[in-house]
This record gives sequence, structure tokens and C-alpha cells, in this order.
Amino acid sequence: MSDYVLGISAQFHDAAAALVRDGEIVAAAAEERFSRIKHDSALPFRAAKWCLEHEGIRPDDLAAVVFHEKPLRKFERLMITQINAFPRSLEAFRRTALSWFPDKLWVRGALAKGLGIDARKVIFSDHHLSHAASAFYTSPFEEAAVLAVDGVGEWASTALFDASRNGIERLSEIHFPHSIGLVYSAFTAYLGFQVNDGEAKVMGLSSYGQPRYVDEVRKILRSSETDGITVDLSYVTYQHSATQSFSARFEQLFGPARSGDARLDITTPEGRRYADIAASLQAVAEDCVVDLANGLQRQTGRTDLCLAGGVALNSVINARLTSRTQFKRVFVHPAPGDDGCAAGAALWAWNEVLAGRRGPALTRPGLGKAWSNGEIAKLLADLDIKHTAFDDEDAMIASVVDDLVDGKVAGWFQGRFEWGPRSLGHRSILADPTRPEMTERINRKIKFREQFRPFAPAVLQGHEDAYFEMAPGTELLMPWMLGVFPVKDGARALLPSTTHVDGSARVQSVDDLANPLFQRLLIAFGRATGHPVLLNTSFNLKGEPIVTSPLQALRTFYSSELDVLYLGNFRVINTAIGKHFYE
Amino acid sequence: MLDQSNPFTMLRLVSWVVWKIPSRRPLKMAGFSHTEAGSSLDMMDAAELAPTASLRKKYFRHALDEFRHSRLFHERAIALSRGSHAADVLEDAEYSASHGIRGETSLYERLGETEFLAFVWLHERQGARQFGLYADLMKHDAASSAMFAEICADEEYHVSYSRRELDRIEIQKGPREVRGAIRRLRLRRAREAFLRTSHGFGHVMAGLWLTVIYFGIVAPFSLAGRRSAPAAGLVATPGASARARLEYEVQG
Ligand SMILES: [Fe+2]
Ligand SMILES: [Fe+2]
Ligand SMILES: [Fe+2]
Repeated sequence: MSDYVLGISAQFHDAAAALVRDGEIVAAAAEERFSRIKHDSALPFRAAKWCLEHEGIRPDDLAAVVFHEKPLRKFERLMITQINAFPRSLEAFRRTALSWFPDKLWVRGALAKGLGIDARKVIFSDHHLSHAASAFYTSPFEEAAVLAVDGVGEWASTALFDASRNGIERLSEIHFPHSIGLVYSAFTAYLGFQVNDGEAKVMGLSSYGQPRYVDEVRKILRSSETDGITVDLSYVTYQHSATQSFSARFEQLFGPARSGDARLDITTPEGRRYADIAASLQAVAEDCVVDLANGLQRQTGRTDLCLAGGVALNSVINARLTSRTQFKRVFVHPAPGDDGCAAGAALWAWNEVLAGRRGPALTRPGLGKAWSNGEIAKLLADLDIKHTAFDDEDAMIASVVDDLVDGKVAGWFQGRFEWGPRSLGHRSILADPTRPEMTERINRKIKFREQFRPFAPAVLQGHEDAYFEMAPGTELLMPWMLGVFPVKDGARALLPSTTHVDGSARVQSVDDLANPLFQRLLIAFGRATGHPVLLNTSFNLKGEPIVTSPLQALRTFYSSELDVLYLGNFRVINTAIGKHFYE
Repeated sequence: MLDQSNPFTMLRLVSWVVWKIPSRRPLKMAGFSHTEAGSSLDMMDAAELAPTASLRKKYFRHALDEFRHSRLFHERAIALSRGSHAADVLEDAEYSASHGIRGETSLYERLGETEFLAFVWLHERQGARQFGLYADLMKHDAASSAMFAEICADEEYHVSYSRRELDRIEIQKGPREVRGAIRRLRLRRAREAFLRTSHGFGHVMAGLWLTVIYFGIVAPFSLAGRRSAPAAGLVATPGASARARLEYEVQG
């Protein structure tokens, strides 16, 4: 039997491919990183082909290609829901039929043809099982309870598992349309953001508000440890509409949806109302996950929890779980959303279908493509771009520290790109977090995005406690930047540009396992300033996927007001590229 | 995109009508923003793959221009729709080509060097004409007019460098190479236009059929008794994982 299994997730949003060798993820990438279409949902052939290329294998070498869910079951759910919603579901029915009949129903054939493999090698996992496997099989836990919470998969919106040496056993699930994720998305739409993209903005907005509308939100979304989640369906319309997710009754409850005048201004009463609604939603969503987790803990008796699914991108909830439940430790996969299902599907098949030996825990997020210093040198020479070349990494790091201390904002492009939605020190924009002007500057001049979105601090492992109020048992969230923690009173003034308005921060801790080069930079910066902390935000402009290649890094660099760019061991400063390029 | 074979006066008339309607303007601008972002991606692909440093430089510079245009159009779209619901939607919308599918290979790979350059030349020439005309027609809206003029100047660079490259290929490989590429490109365009039309027609027909099916088939099912909607709350799933392990070949 071959040692390789390829996992594929696609057809909803965030398509991805992940290659597992001997139970370990060796290459993984979201399709958007290659196609440059944000949240690209097409079958991820570009990413899949790169995965094979990375390992130098041919499609024939794969033991199996695993799709992350069962398409026919999902189609069944759509059809039954639409029959039930007759005659309001005409438009949704036509949309479903037009996308499923010519295309989505024929996944096996499309994958076999696109990848050049035998169709019998294509097998199918189950959506929440894929989520669960992505978390459990990359966690350091021998046994754990696993909670997968998202919008919806085939029928389930939430699934509870008990995982051990014997595999991942599904204990119970909650079915569509009762879904925390879909209610969160309905609020996202109500608050004027794009569904499947703006949820993070709702979370950011929530820290500007007070949870004044908790009782109202609870009318829509209720939870208990024994019964799970219940949604009052009179407030939502996602169950029969493809374009509208909240009802007129929803607006009667909360007032008119955000529309009309341009920017969301939190200083106006209207803006504050939206922030308060976001805060209330956040509080109720947290209670829901806590109830589910407590119920699961009681049922399984486990002390470790793996959380998976899109809801696990909510770093505020993640960080509270050990203090609000009986669980002692919590782990989240670096790609908890549907992109991560590609890894989960492959890991599930390896461990449970092919009965392979379980691989090691995941310790590093850099699972994407890398470019060598030689390739970067050639690119810079080809493009005639003035640069400084450093002999070694130490000299390069010393120069970055000088630039950052000098108040410059730096693009940092090093090694393999990250797996999952966060930049974790491979494709990052870095700055000195002690400078208060950085938030405004980076938001407005570099990323062109809403001002209320906070930046994250990356801190050298071992120094978290000096700045942040860490909850015990949350250490495993930190390498992936998936936990929000209070900044200690004394440190708030110290780290103004990475401390959110409510005094919290989404912390990433860095050690030599996760990212040795980035760790060395933090050590050097700490030596120079006394604080081994950097502002770390993703290397992209608003609306674009994070940069993948050195050329994309250069395009982003020249299209923004970034001061300086480090591409491998090369430093480039931002001087306009002239029209002489055409001569 | 306006067909360049249209008589210029006709183009002028149509454009004048289109730009006359204020509510259409932001949408037109947003549409241009998407097109320009898409071109920027195509030029980036070409810059990644170009065989010579000289071409790489030009394609990269071109990609930067198109990206900037995309952003200018996006900002203009927002400015023109200030205060309306559209502003809100646009403000939050991405200005990159974040919708649709780009296929498995890049335009550059699909066309090859000569045809790609011919494509760039034809499209840029058309763009330069179009934006030049808009700069003229939009005199009543100084900011938009100035933006069109600025973009038009860039497009002229794109026309001239791609033409120069085509001339170079003509000298190296003979005039047939370039003429052939342009002919193939025009054929391809005609074929794509035909496919788009028939696809659009098919889409409408499929939509009609689906409406018939909806009322003919879905309705009786629905009236025969609603399939019981799933119950709220936790549903126990004994044996589900074992079943998943056995049914891995089953699609649903
Ligand atoms: Fe999911
Ligand atoms: Fe342009
Ligand atoms: Fe152009």
C-alpha cells in the first residue's frame, strides 16, 4: 500500500487540498492561495497538483483521494428542505438544481479526471467527521472529546465525538436548520457584512459593544447541556432562501438591518446599537458552545477537548473553554474551517479506512510552498529591483530589527506559506507593537480596511505571562493564533497597537518547533527593545488572499505603503517602479 | 465589453446613454473594477511564467497598473454612490476579482506567448479607446473624467509595449506568426461569444424547465405531506462512525 493519501475539500467555500504521508500532513494549501480568488470553492486542482509536486509523486502513487463530505446526502438535505418550504423555495430550488446537476453531483468523476487517477480511488468521508479528524489526529491527545460546530455539512450543523485509539466515535449530532454557525452568519448579513467572510468582523465589532440584547438573541438561539441547540425558525430564512438569511420578524426584534450610509461609525448611537448586537450575539454563541462542551464532557468523561469547524475560528470562545467547562486542555487545528476538512478527510482515511499508524502531532503551520533564495535572487534581477542581499539569516534578522525599531512597517516573506487563514510568521506584515500609530497606519495606508479590526501580537514562547492573562490549558491555541486573552493592566499601554479596545489581544506564541526563523527574529527584537513581541498581521491587502509567491509579495508591496520588504535573505525598499519598465 | 467592430458613433451614443443614468454609474465603475482586477491576475500569471527578464518586467509593471485601476474604479464607485445602499455594499465588497472561477490553467498558458501578446494588444487598444471616450463624455463629472484620462494614459502604454513586442516577434518569426495569432484570437472570441450566448440561453431555458419541474414535481411531494423536518436538539447517532468506516466508497 502506498503511504500517501490526498484529502480534498471543495464546493462550498475555502476549497483546499492536503497530502498525508504516513499519517502526517506533509503539504497542504487552500486553493485561493494559487487561484487568487478569495474563498475559492472550485475543486482545488491547483493546490492538489502542487501537493503532489512537493513530494515528487505521481497521481498513481496515491492510496486514496478522499472527499471531505458526502455530496448526495447534502443534495438530499437541500431537496427535502426545499420541498418543505414550497412554494417559497422556487429561487433556491433553481439555484440548487443549476449548480448541482451539471456540476456538483459528479465529484468522483471530476476528481478522477482532473487528477488523472482511477475513479475507484476516490472515497468519501463525512463533513463533521472530517472536521473532527483534522483536530484529533493533529492534536497531541491520545484520547479526547471532539466537538465540531459550523454552519452546516450534509445534515448536521454540530457533531459530538469521543476519540481514542479505536478511532473517532460519533455520539450525537444536531441537524440543519438548527445551527450556531448559520445564525452567526445571519447576524453577519444583518450587520452589513459578507456571509462566510465577515464573521471575523462581527467578532471584532463585538468588543466595541455591550451585550444589551442577550435576551433578544436568546429568543432566536437557545442552548442547553442536554438538548444542544435550538433555533426559532421564524426569525431566520436561510432554510429556504439562498439570498436572504434573516426574516422581517428578526428586524422587528432588532431594528432595521445595517444599510444606507457608508461606513460603520461606532461613535454614533446607530453604530453602537450594531456593536451591542454583535456583543450580544458573541455572548450567546459562547454560551451555546460552552453548553455543548459541558454536555459532551459529562457524557465522555474526557479531560481534553478538540474543537473543530468554522465556529472554532472564534478565538474569543476558544480561549474561554477551559475556564468555563470541566475540560483541562483545548486544541484547535490551525485550519478549523472547511479548508481544514481536506486534512481531516485524508487523516480519517489513513487512520480509520486504511488502518495506518497514527502520525505525530502537528507542530508547525508552514505546510505550503516555499521559494529558495536563488529563485528570489533571479526574480529581483529579472525585475531590475534594487535590493540588499544578506550573507546569512543573522545579518538579515539584524536588519529587520533595525527597520522595525526605526518605526518601519515590514513585509516578511520566509519559507513555506501557512496552512489555515492566519499569517503566522511566513507571510506576515510586521511592526513594532509599542508604537500607538501603527494600528491606524496599517489599517488605512497598507491594508485599506475597517478601522475596528485589531492586530495580533506574536510573542516569544515563555514570555506570554509577562503581557497576557493566560487561561490554563489554552497553550495549544497559541501557536495558531486561535485564542483571545486579556492583556495585563501594565502591558496595555506598552502594546497599544495590538491591544483591542476591550483590553484583549489575539495572541500567537512562537517557538523553535513552529517557526525557528521567526523565533530568532523575536529573540533579536526582544534584545533590542526589551520586549520580544511583534505586531503580526497577514501579508495581503483588503479583499485579497494572503500572498503566496515572491512576485505576489512584490505586487502587494508596491500597491501599498509598506516601507520595506524582506524576501528570504533580501531587503527591498519601497521606491516607485517607473514607466521605464515598459521600455 | 463593447465590441470594437461597432461604428465609433454608435459606441459613443450607447456610452452616452449608459453614463447619463446616474444610478448606473457606480455599478459600471464596480464592473470595471472587477475586470481590471481580473486582468491584473492574468498579467501576474504571465509575469510568473514569462521566459525572459524583459517580458517579465513588462508584465509585472502591467499587473501593477491594472491593480491600481481596479482600486481607482472601486473608490470611484463608492464615491458616486455615497449615501445610497449601494455604497455600503460596495464599501464592504472586495475590489479584487474575488468571484467566479479562473480555471485550472492561466490565460497565459492557454494562449502561449504570441497569442497572449496579441490578446493584450487587442484588449488594451479597445480599453484605451473606450476610456478615452468616457473621459470625454464625463466632462460634467470632473473627478470621473480625470480618472478615465489617467487610466487611458496607462492603457496607451500597454498598447504600445505589446505592439512593440508583436513587432519584435514579426521580425524574429515572420509576419505570419502574429497575423495567425490575431486570427486565432478573433475566432476564439467569436466562439466564446457564441458559447456565452448559447450558455445564457440554455440557462434561461433550464430556469424555465426547473420552474415547471418545481410546480409539477416538487409541489405534489410537498402537498402529499411535508417530509418531516429534522427535530431540534441533539440526536444520538449510535454506530455512525462504524458505518462511515464501511461506507467510505458511497457518495451519499
Ligand atoms: Fe464545515
Ligand atoms: Fe486597465
Ligand atoms: Fe490596461
